[in-house]
Amino acid sequence: MSLALPATIGTVVIGGGVVGACLAGFLADEGQDVLVVDDGRGAGSSANAGSLHVQMQSRFMRLYPEHVPNMELQLPLYPKAVAFWRELGTSLNADFDLKMTGGLMVAESQDQLDFLKLKAARERQLGLDVEILDRAQLDAIAPYFGPAIVGAELCANEGKLNPLLCNAAIRSWILARGVVLAEGVNVAAITRAGQGFSVATTRGTVACGRVVLAAGSGTRPLAAGLGLPVPAVAEPLHMNITEATAPLIGHLVQHADRMITLKQFGTGQIVIGGGWPARQDSPGGHAEVELASLIANASLAQHIVPSIGHLRIIRTWAGLNTSVDGMGVLGAVPAVPGLFVAIPGDAGYTLGPLSARLVADVMLGREPGEDLNPFRPERFA
Amino acid sequence: MSEIVPILFEGEPVPARAGESVAAALTAHGIRGFRITRTAAERGMFCGMGVCQDCLVEVDGLPGRRACMTVVDRPLTIRRQRHGQALPTQTSELPPATIDELEVERPELLVIGAGPGGLCAAIAARRAGAEVVVLDERRSPGGQYFKPVAVAGDDIQPPDAQHREGLALVAQARAAGVVIRSGVSVWGAFRPLEFAATSGTGETQRYLPRAVVVATGAYERPWPVPGWELPGVMTTGAAQTLWRTARRLPGRRVMIAGNGPLNLQLAAELHGGGADVVAVVEAAGSPARSPGAAAAMALASPALVVQGLAYQWRCLTGGVPMLHNMVVSSVEPRGDGLAVTLTGGGAMRVLETDVLCLGYGFEPSNELLRALGCRHDHDGMRLVTWRDADGQTSVPGVYALGDCTGLGGARVAAADGTLAGLAAAAGLGHAIGPELARDRKQAAATAQRHRRFQQALWTVYRAPALAIAQVPDDTMICRCEEVRFGAARAAIADGLADAGSVKRATRIGMGPCQGRYCRPLLESLISEATGKAPDELSGFAPRPPFRPVTIRDLAGKS
Repeated sequence: MSLALPATIGTVVIGGGVVGACLAGFLADEGQDVLVVDDGRGAGSSANAGSLHVQMQSRFMRLYPEHVPNMELQLPLYPKAVAFWRELGTSLNADFDLKMTGGLMVAESQDQLDFLKLKAARERQLGLDVEILDRAQLDAIAPYFGPAIVGAELCANEGKLNPLLCNAAIRSWILARGVVLAEGVNVAAITRAGQGFSVATTRGTVACGRVVLAAGSGTRPLAAGLGLPVPAVAEPLHMNITEATAPLIGHLVQHADRMITLKQFGTGQIVIGGGWPARQDSPGGHAEVELASLIANASLAQHIVPSIGHLRIIRTWAGLNTSVDGMGVLGAVPAVPGLFVAIPGDAGYTLGPLSARLVADVMLGREPGEDLNPFRPERFA
Repeated sequence: MSEIVPILFEGEPVPARAGESVAAALTAHGIRGFRITRTAAERGMFCGMGVCQDCLVEVDGLPGRRACMTVVDRPLTIRRQRHGQALPTQTSELPPATIDELEVERPELLVIGAGPGGLCAAIAARRAGAEVVVLDERRSPGGQYFKPVAVAGDDIQPPDAQHREGLALVAQARAAGVVIRSGVSVWGAFRPLEFAATSGTGETQRYLPRAVVVATGAYERPWPVPGWELPGVMTTGAAQTLWRTARRLPGRRVMIAGNGPLNLQLAAELHGGGADVVAVVEAAGSPARSPGAAAAMALASPALVVQGLAYQWRCLTGGVPMLHNMVVSSVEPRGDGLAVTLTGGGAMRVLETDVLCLGYGFEPSNELLRALGCRHDHDGMRLVTWRDADGQTSVPGVYALGDCTGLGGARVAAADGTLAGLAAAAGLGHAIGPELARDRKQAAATAQRHRRFQQALWTVYRAPALAIAQVPDDTMICRCEEVRFGAARAAIADGLADAGSVKRATRIGMGPCQGRYCRPLLESLISEATGKAPDELSGFAPRPPFRPVTIRDLAGKS
């Protein structure tokens, strides 16, 4: 919509993904006036593949072993984040196609199973509902795996949802609450102005009292402009979706040592993702899929669940995940009064609504009920 | 007699001709419903050329096969494809693969599409010394213009002049040393110059050419009216493929509606083949109203005008009713056939037929070019690939020609093919000798002449564009996902102002045809609502695979 932006507004949220949209909704629920500015490229949320992650993802543990302590710090938030998705669906009276099926991280060797056992022991200490299954136990609950799989870690807190349904319902909710949604608008600069801020956009300048940076990796240059280092990086990822088939894969499936997520939506379509790289030629540019990822990702999927071999992939796409240091960046920036940051963490979509609520609580002067100190935005200064 | 191969459809024997498509065999026996949708509706063959994905069947237990692209080369067991049906459980597992395990070919020049344009490009480049490989999705080269006869027998009408011209061109290409690979579907293009293709036997290959000529043609532009998704409604091209490749009629009674001379050719061919052509319904007025343009056509290409008049004569003498200034405005089932409502000039008529062919112009198949990053401009109707006079696109090493770059017909494509083939060869360092330079000059003149012909032709056939605002809300916009115009309009009214957002909110364009039919319609709806002219980015982003491909085919050698 090419409507003019308001000249002044209480809060500007930069980034209209799941975090920014929910945050705007929570503020608007309390009567605040909010403008959400989004560049319209839908970097993360609109490309999300719908996993509700809880157990530590082996991919991140392999890629960033130095992040593991931080991942463990945030881990207790994950099951709460999944529970919060359910609450949100109920409170919005929306069908998210959310299924608490549990998640399976499969192993192909004893070594991999041993790794899962160690991981499960640690996760159990941190409050997760996990158990190790041998092949016979696995077959009893998930009779669709191929011969290569020897066992799995089952995490009962995991599940899946359909982000298309979620995004549409959240958008309807916040529009109904009077949030001003400016899509296809870029933010050029944010400057301090009196007690508030001046936000220069490609559709004019807006004066506001508070600014929330909820733009994933796009937060980095905006925060830097206000003197705040936030080392968020974009991780362009590849995803695939098949045509529909009869219910087959109930769980969210991952692998102990290979990059994959595998799940079936209520539409019957199977979504295959899990961290294979896409290509982004310029920062902020469109991410594009690569053949190497398509081949590797799809062939790994049928290696794990052979019967999907005859299913056709009808589309691939690329999206941007945001990676920081294994944890989210959440809360106020005391050095810049009125500035808030909301970057959820490794599994951004899973953590999105809860992260938004925690930051909204801080902004509304409510007790968030979680210790947000580990996630404070100024920890990189 | 032609060789008969017994196939089974839902357990019933159907005698098929060796070499025809499953779709042709079933259609010839009155079977029009192939696929069962999510809402339990039947769908039949629509595009007849592998694009629309509405003719899906299960072949020998394997789901997701296009009846129009599956050749009857042995006895086959065919079942309807049911949306969301279970997969065969006995499937052997393949090890995880990497891209390095794919077969790689590095031809000097890759030509994609073996229609008249692609073949002429290949011949020209080969004559200039380039090593040329041509890939084509169909079982034999010739493309949608030549449509080679695929069946044989003394009961089969022999090839006509158009067929023979195609056979001669293919023979010329082979004699020149062009390698033509048929049955190879190119479903991915990746920057800077990488292509992924799957052969008929399921082998996935990577092509890393030094240069490419893209000549992927076009597919029919949608004509969305209530009932256009019903079995028995198909494109003019689909019906022509049935007749020209398999010598099968789409039905006993056939109505042909649309805009342009191809519909007249189809009417003449089907009438000659024994069909009862109920009517040819032409959106434009009678050619007699534009004598100036008709004269310009005659000057530019007397042969094509004579051919056009011959089609018209055959229809006239055959008693085929010609209805001008009328369009199809709805279709509904009636008895075993269809009742088609025609409107125009304040009049309304309802005619009954078994099959309705829709031929309201074409859309370029430009997905490979778009994926490679070639610049496109929107001319208000469709995207036009930016090219220089020799067919070089905005991306170095990528040449394009013919209907995939905009529209122009087979003659323009052939002449542009020669130009692009020579330009590609020259770009690869091959010298263009005096003889080829003469050919180039002649091709440039021929291309100009046929562009003048096309311009005059479309002046004669000028017709009102689809009034998108008048399309009723309950009309299907996305055939794959069964989403209707009302849902699209509601999403746009909700503030969604780009095709990608409407797609994610409504599922329009999320099906296996990848939005090929709904995209131009959605673009028009958005453009009309926002007042913003469509441009290069206003449609859906190109997303490989451009043809659905099975996971097994991606996983390695079958």
